[in-house]
Amino acid sequence: MHPLLKTNILLRSIFICLLLFVLSGCWDRVEINDLAIVTGMGIDKTDEGDIELSVQIANPKAMASSGSSSGGQSDGETTVVNTVKGKTIFDARSKLQEGLSRQFFEGHNRVIFISKELAEDGIKKHVDFFARFPSPRLRANVFIVDSKASDILKVPSDFELNSAEVARELAKLKIGLNITTKDLLQQLANESGSIALPIITAEENPTGKKGLRLSGSAIFKKDKMVGQIDSALTRGVLWIRDKIEMSSVTLEPDNTEGYISFELLRSSTELIPTIKDGKWKMIVNITTEDDVVENETNLDILDPKITNKLEKQLERKVKERIQDTLDYVQKELEADIFGFGEAFHHKFPKQWEKEKDKWEEKFPKLEVEIIGEAYIRRPGRSNIPQEEQKKE
Amino acid sequence: MLEKGKISAIQLIILLYPTITATAILVLPATTGSFAKQDMWLSPIWASTFGYLSIFIAYALHKYYPQKTLIEYSEKIVGMIPGKLIGFGFLFFLLHTNGMNLRDYGEFVVGNFLQKTPIIVVVLSMAFVCAITVYGGIEVLARSSQFFFPVFVVLFLFIIVLLIPVLNPKNILPVMGEGLTPSIKGALIPSQWFNEFILISFLLPYLNKKKNAFKWGVLSVSLVMITLVITNLFSLLLFGDITSYFTYPFMDAARYISIADFLQHVELIVMALWVTGMFIKISVFYYAIVLGTAQWLGLTSYRPIVFPIGFLLVVLSIWVTPNLQKLTEFSSTTWPVYAFVFQMFIPVSLLLIAMLRKKKSN
Amino acid sequence: MKWLSILGILVITILIILYEWPKLKKNQKKEKKAFAVLLLTSVTLSIVLLYFPDIPGPTELIDTIFKPFGNLLSNL
Repeated sequence: MHPLLKTNILLRSIFICLLLFVLSGCWDRVEINDLAIVTGMGIDKTDEGDIELSVQIANPKAMASSGSSSGGQSDGETTVVNTVKGKTIFDARSKLQEGLSRQFFEGHNRVIFISKELAEDGIKKHVDFFARFPSPRLRANVFIVDSKASDILKVPSDFELNSAEVARELAKLKIGLNITTKDLLQQLANESGSIALPIITAEENPTGKKGLRLSGSAIFKKDKMVGQIDSALTRGVLWIRDKIEMSSVTLEPDNTEGYISFELLRSSTELIPTIKDGKWKMIVNITTEDDVVENETNLDILDPKITNKLEKQLERKVKERIQDTLDYVQKELEADIFGFGEAFHHKFPKQWEKEKDKWEEKFPKLEVEIIGEAYIRRPGRSNIPQEEQKKE
Repeated sequence: MLEKGKISAIQLIILLYPTITATAILVLPATTGSFAKQDMWLSPIWASTFGYLSIFIAYALHKYYPQKTLIEYSEKIVGMIPGKLIGFGFLFFLLHTNGMNLRDYGEFVVGNFLQKTPIIVVVLSMAFVCAITVYGGIEVLARSSQFFFPVFVVLFLFIIVLLIPVLNPKNILPVMGEGLTPSIKGALIPSQWFNEFILISFLLPYLNKKKNAFKWGVLSVSLVMITLVITNLFSLLLFGDITSYFTYPFMDAARYISIADFLQHVELIVMALWVTGMFIKISVFYYAIVLGTAQWLGLTSYRPIVFPIGFLLVVLSIWVTPNLQKLTEFSSTTWPVYAFVFQMFIPVSLLLIAMLRKKKSN
Repeated sequence: MKWLSILGILVITILIILYEWPKLKKNQKKEKKAFAVLLLTSVTLSIVLLYFPDIPGPTELIDTIFKPFGNLLSNL
């Protein structure tokens, strides 16, 4: 054999041996059964002013048995909640890891609960971790908790695997605000400087079982919580922000007894900022389409004339709701969570540039005009007049 | 001639397109976003003029010296010693920049996925693959990128399409609210990425059909421009004002994808996109360095220096910067000027001198 | 740990030499020189960097030359 070829064979075999090292994988190989999959995280404030981190970790043992065993007897809860104190989130996380046989993994974490106490001190610094550390996702939903965040994580759930999932599904229904870490970061960066986050509470129902419930929103100025609004006002916020998807309106028509309920089909809101002679004004233009779903009155809603009247009343009702929200959030809390500032920035960038530092004073005095158009599209599946039923 | 291989016009595009877009897709939204804010999608359009200019200069010089690369004709144009100096400077620039590219590649992989893996392992394995490709010559380089290019494009489109449901069109407003200045400022750094098109001067001599070379070059600049506009636009529509917060906005955008709670956690696609794109980018630079060095030294073959230069690249990738912060700072303050000198100023001067000489001799 | 890295560097160097040297023909003097010089530079540099990771590199060099212009750019 030619000597040159010989070295080549030697070389090739060395190379092949070296390749084996590459095939063994990398430093960061982690097996799934070495992972503690975090499903929800909660942050509370301690008495010393530090933070207390609670994590909800999926319990694979319980999950597996609840799936397979027919008796429904599972060994323990589907999730485990651990709590520890620390200076920062990562500090607490490291301390938690000391007592955990598996490695932390936040890649599947979908919910972050922040306690009200902490929120009142400012949340910006706590959000940093969720945007900087590689494994958490920006899509995780953020909630403010009235009580302790760790309690919410411990609430058992009926339909979903864990309470964090319940919270996320609730947000997804869009009855209340649906804010992800990304949205929160965006709002924090926003020039209007106000944020709204959904509030979730654990409520005991009559049977003594605990369940989660969306109960309005927390309103922030800069990054500090300044107040809260209930579900009805939250609906108003959603309406102005053009985020409303599910809503029911019940009204008492004039000149008759009983109520009519409407279900919202679709609605669109347009914010039209105007500046006239240096006077700033916001026009909120709402178009909603509704169906009649319940009719207690003796009105014949097949009659176009009556429908017309009802549309007017519906319009008024929607406007009222929005006015209520504005009255409280704009006049009392003075927090621009509606995106009014942004709308002005978008339409009048030059004027905005000059006035944006004064926006905080300007916003509460801003004139807001609500104009709306309501359409009732369908009378529903049947049309049974109440009067005739009574006669029978 | 050192290189006996030939490439086709399509292969030229396939080599150049990922060379520019690979890094740009990930980092560009953040760099332009910090200057141009909601006008950042306009920046690549302004920046692309430099790409067209680069193609024009490289092509004009190529017309004068059809068989030669930049390293060779600079000696012809300004004489032996100044030519060698320019050549050395240019090679140094390429070597340094490619060291940074290699580091960029490693930083992304380590920063997002393999946090505990020593960066040298990531960098070394990439350099090794690139070395083998470059060793094979321009045809192997072209074919391997031909193999990876469709993967690159398909993965990119995949992410883009999945992003559509989460976009908020309002983020684009106000368009040019503060006039043109912010978007032009945002174009300053990407303009030097577009100037990397000057690398075409190392590929043009090996084109099999020279007829439409200019047209193909212009086409590849346009494709890059469109891609970057889309990348910036999508990052903007998703993140709005906070785009510049992220080190790799496109990565975070991909992480945000969730279709029906089912199709989610697709960020590994970005990783695949990055690896394939960076492979081509580093290889093209690497090839230009190896070919240029061989020509500069007057060697009869460039193969013997492929591995030593690869080794040097790995060392450089570690040496260029102690951390990502410094790398980012350098590539957004000093590098654009540095790159402008080598990618724009020197080629333009060479072209002007060549034109004057031609006139004189006529 | 350092000796392990040096060992790694040497193994890579030897592999490169073993692969490339036999392919170089007798009359390719220039190529041999270029090969040797480049490889030697890389090896020395890598070992030096192993012991003194903070010595100023090309980035610092370029920074000192172009920084004034770079600052101009960011102050625009």
